[in-house]
Amino acid sequence: MPLPIAPLLGFLSDNLTKRRSVMPMSSRKTTRWAAGLDIPAGGETVLYTGLMYQIIPALTSSEKTMSLVQDSWVGQLLSFGRTVNRFVNLTSFMPPADRQEQKRYDQYLRNIVQLLRKAGVTEFGYLYGSELYTGALVRDLGVDDAFEQHARKVHKMLDRQGVRRVITVDPHTTDMLRNVYPKLVPGYNLEVKSYLEVLRESEARPKNRLESEAVIHDSCLYARYLDTVEQPRRLLEKAGVTARDPEFSGKMTFCCGGPVESLFPDKAGEIAGRRIKQLAEAGNDVVTMCPICLHNLEKAASGNGVSVRDISELLLQAYGG
Amino acid sequence: MARVNTDFIDEVRRSDGFDATACMHCGQCTAICPMGLDLLPRRLFFYVGAGLEDKVIENLETIFSCLLCRLCEENCPRDVHIAEDVRFLRNYINRKVHKLARI
Amino acid sequence: MEDRRIGVFICYCGGNISDYVEVEKVRAAVENEPGVVLAKTQMFACSDAAQDEMISDIKEKGLDGIVVASCSPKLHLYTFRAMSLRAGLNPFRYTQSNIREQCSWAHRDGGPFATEKAIRIVRAGIARARLSEPLATMRIETTPKVLVLGAGVAGLMASLTLADIGLPVFLVEKEPEVGGWTCKWGGMFPQGNGSDLVEGLLKKVKQREDITLFTRAEIIERTGSVGDFTAKIRVADGSVVSLEVGAIIVATGFDTYRPAEGEFGYGREGVWTLPEVKEWLAGNEGPLAVDGRPVESVAYIYCVGSRQPKDSELERPNLYCSRYCCSSALHTALQIHERNPEVHQFHLYRDMRSYGKYELLYEEASRKGSMFFRFENDAPPEILAESRRHIVRAKGQLEGDEVLDIPADLVVLVTGMVPRQNDALINVLKLPVGTDGFFNEIHPKLRPVETVMDGVFIVGASQGPKTLAESVASSLAGVSKSAALLKKGYVDLDPYIAMVNAERCVWCGKCLEACPYGAIEKSVLEGKEIASVIPSLCKGGGACVPVCPEDAIELKGYTSEEITAAIDALIEQVAAPVP
Ligand code: SF4
Ligand code: SF4
Ligand code: SF4
Repeated sequence: MPLPIAPLLGFLSDNLTKRRSVMPMSSRKTTRWAAGLDIPAGGETVLYTGLMYQIIPALTSSEKTMSLVQDSWVGQLLSFGRTVNRFVNLTSFMPPADRQEQKRYDQYLRNIVQLLRKAGVTEFGYLYGSELYTGALVRDLGVDDAFEQHARKVHKMLDRQGVRRVITVDPHTTDMLRNVYPKLVPGYNLEVKSYLEVLRESEARPKNRLESEAVIHDSCLYARYLDTVEQPRRLLEKAGVTARDPEFSGKMTFCCGGPVESLFPDKAGEIAGRRIKQLAEAGNDVVTMCPICLHNLEKAASGNGVSVRDISELLLQAYGG
Repeated sequence: MARVNTDFIDEVRRSDGFDATACMHCGQCTAICPMGLDLLPRRLFFYVGAGLEDKVIENLETIFSCLLCRLCEENCPRDVHIAEDVRFLRNYINRKVHKLARI
Repeated sequence: MEDRRIGVFICYCGGNISDYVEVEKVRAAVENEPGVVLAKTQMFACSDAAQDEMISDIKEKGLDGIVVASCSPKLHLYTFRAMSLRAGLNPFRYTQSNIREQCSWAHRDGGPFATEKAIRIVRAGIARARLSEPLATMRIETTPKVLVLGAGVAGLMASLTLADIGLPVFLVEKEPEVGGWTCKWGGMFPQGNGSDLVEGLLKKVKQREDITLFTRAEIIERTGSVGDFTAKIRVADGSVVSLEVGAIIVATGFDTYRPAEGEFGYGREGVWTLPEVKEWLAGNEGPLAVDGRPVESVAYIYCVGSRQPKDSELERPNLYCSRYCCSSALHTALQIHERNPEVHQFHLYRDMRSYGKYELLYEEASRKGSMFFRFENDAPPEILAESRRHIVRAKGQLEGDEVLDIPADLVVLVTGMVPRQNDALINVLKLPVGTDGFFNEIHPKLRPVETVMDGVFIVGASQGPKTLAESVASSLAGVSKSAALLKKGYVDLDPYIAMVNAERCVWCGKCLEACPYGAIEKSVLEGKEIASVIPSLCKGGGACVPVCPEDAIELKGYTSEEITAAIDALIEQVAAPVP
């Protein structure tokens, strides 16, 4: 049975408008990663997570729910669910995210902070509980009203906090804040850079040469929306990692399947499977630079003898010292 | 047999979200699409250009299956903003079919 | 036979000949022919180095005749004539033997036959060369005036430019008005308007005293030859004027294809050809309406009357592409987009040939919302009637199997160009007509405006479909060829003309009847009536030679003796090739 698209869209956009995220989570959970890092609150320059690394582990559990929905009578209930969802946060009834997973994804954010500091970039804050999801998924699904409303909310918040420059950690947030928001929000004037660009521009020097190889999976957004192809390669190269390009790479990279995960998990899985095959032909150590890619490819790789890692992990080994 | 519906063409034309005027239906996009979406974007743009609203709606699931990955755009000889056009059609369907206009 | 000193040069043509003909064996077989004092082979006889070698051989060995065994004289006749001249040898004592087109290329299947045949051909050449005589070209003074037929833009431009060069022009137009189609078709790409353009040209023409314009006039007779024509023109009042000119430029243009009744719905209100639509647009300023109904949707069907399939039932299908119509239809669509941006326009095309700068029209039309659907030739669109609208039913080739019903208030049949029906003109000028019905040039690339009738040039769309810009370019090419001819003041004609043996001739008049050029007249020599040849009119066609019962007439350079000797040499046994 095909997924009931309309109710799902409604469900997600309701979440966004009412609870400010497609996957509402407590701020305790979304800021936990920063514990002990002593990042100042707010400031003109902030590290903006867009909640992407935090939401992903929660998705794993919701996917289980979705697959269930897709295959059974639960789907019928969803339209009903949408009405209820407006008043009660249905997401909170979903199975809780796996603790291990959460910790691992939190760690990537910690890696990024350390990398920036090692590269001499220390002047940045974090918005903690005030930070908001950008609404990328809802926009992708074409629910423009809800998205635009939300974008204005995000902008207002950034404005109130006096933010002028943003360092992002994932391509989706980068695209939203750099390319999409300026067209929608009047008076929007933020300088947006991904941490990979910031690192590349800094004089970051590796402490260890890794003398290894890695297969690069370019994210569609970095490659084709943001023109960020060369930066990760140079950073790895400097660290002694030989970058291997799979059949589809750089500007011609191949999607991980993630974007259709919410509506068609089966199709997403199939694309991820094909991508893993292409990557595996170039080598067993795959690096990604987007939490969605990471999540999807990891799932597809399990049992394939391929390891998938976030690029921050590899970079930290070299530049962390 | 499909009848050209100029009202639909007008409606799409009035918005500035959709622009596939440069598309020449060559199919380079379709050839490379990871989803193997035979419909997208070549035929889809034809449906829109010819005002075949029913055909567009009939293919709702395909339209929502697009990854917005832009691999097709990289291959398109006419620089059509394919992903943005697909997103526009999602929005159109959301308003027209899913009635998600105002929440 | 007097003692001749003949040199033979046999060419490899870089393999074109030598791959199939054993060139060295040919040389060995002919070097001892009577009169031959030198026989050589060359890699490329036409190369500068080879020509220099021939020149020094001619001088050193005192050669009085040469044979070049190479390609067709069509290619290098003039090359080797010029070389002979440089070497001080009379150019008419050089003979070209064609062992490429007529031998090596015809026998690519191999075997010794090609070599044997080449030997025979070269021997025949030598036999002719032995009899060759020094001849002199004939010089004719030219009349420095030009007759231009057709006062469309091509004809007007040709006239003005000729006048600029200092050559007076007679410009003859059949219609009461000048300007042809351009005048009626309104806006042009990239700017301007056809009638304004023509008006400007006409004004200039009228200011020139050295251009005489005749409208409602027609050529009815032409005599004379290159550099020295007499043309009779019937002018508006019915009288006939006689004009002396040195060259004639034919700029009679094209006709537009007229669809048959019912062809794509033609004949119904609102199903119009592109030229009709252009005239309609040019002639009305208000909101676009057909039969009182506003035009909301327009459908174009391309290639109507052009690129017709070979196997169609038509007697003479138009196989060619008319070149201008894609661009012109796009231009029309842009005019309509401009007049009313709300109008929907659908283009059903076979191939979009908006080449060169006209591609901008395609870009702009598609940006303005024109939709393009390609159809296959064997599934052309159909036009159905629906109340007061038309429905164009079409199967888009690139879009799957979808059959579209396009409602249209106006259906534009994008018709191409066809040759004008002008048999009288063809007859008067003896113009060669191609299989497509347009006039034929001598060489499609190198001699695009010249015809086999020396001094008669074909320009503009009379030669084949062209855009206006191309027509003008072609007309200026005609101007430069005319000027090159007339500015020199004379033309040299080949001496290959007929000559009458006065002793034998009994003046029966058969040759006079046979000559298509009117080059024979009766004269009296020492009291005897004989035929004599007018050198400037004789083309050396030789129609007179076989009809003479007394064998009294011969062609210079092609005498019976020369031809017979060549045939004898050709059939003479060749010794079995030495292995
Ligand atoms: S590749 Fe571009 S031009 Fe070709 S069919 Fe696809 S969108 Fe149209
Ligand atoms: S953007 Fe959509 S249509 Fe284009 S290649 Fe990706 S999945 Fe296919
Ligand atoms: S120019 Fe275009 S419409 Fe005219 S014959 Fe050629 S292809 Fe057909």
